[in-house]
Amino acid sequence: MSDTIDEKIKNYRTAPFDARFPNTNQTRNCYQNYLDFHRCNKALSAKDQDTAPCDWYQRVYKSLCPVSWVTKWDDQLEAGSFAGKI
Amino acid sequence: MLGIIAKQLKSHPALIPLFIFIGGGAAMSITYLSRLALRNPDVSWDRKNNPEPWNNMKPDQQYKLFAVNMDYSKLKKEGPDF
Repeated sequence: MSDTIDEKIKNYRTAPFDARFPNTNQTRNCYQNYLDFHRCNKALSAKDQDTAPCDWYQRVYKSLCPVSWVTKWDDQLEAGSFAGKI
Repeated sequence: MLGIIAKQLKSHPALIPLFIFIGGGAAMSITYLSRLALRNPDVSWDRKNNPEPWNNMKPDQQYKLFAVNMDYSKLKKEGPDF
């Protein structure tokens, strides 16, 4: 499983179609992948596993989200004021 | 209230189609709104037990009514599990 994820990350071009978000408004797609990246990091490091597979979510949200949102959320995370459940 | 309406309808029977159409329109909007409220995966009623209902969809589940140019049978889950 991790081999195919590494392969997928290596061959990454853009965010693939996600059936959960089929419409034009991809806001939730961006936010969900941002959350999933941080949740994945938290879960895998709690189990002492390599967090490299989580990079898939990072590539996806970097493709989808506006840069200003990402920097804003990162700043909020550092300050501890991020509103999402991670 | 219903007695007054029934009396008015008896003296003005042309009002009956009005009731039919307005009642039908109200029924249609109510059913659509309740369908949206209950079936839409973006809506979360129970924040404690089901906070993100869109995550309960399968990766090849079609939500739209007409999906042009999208082969849903070939989709798989993309990201890693954790």
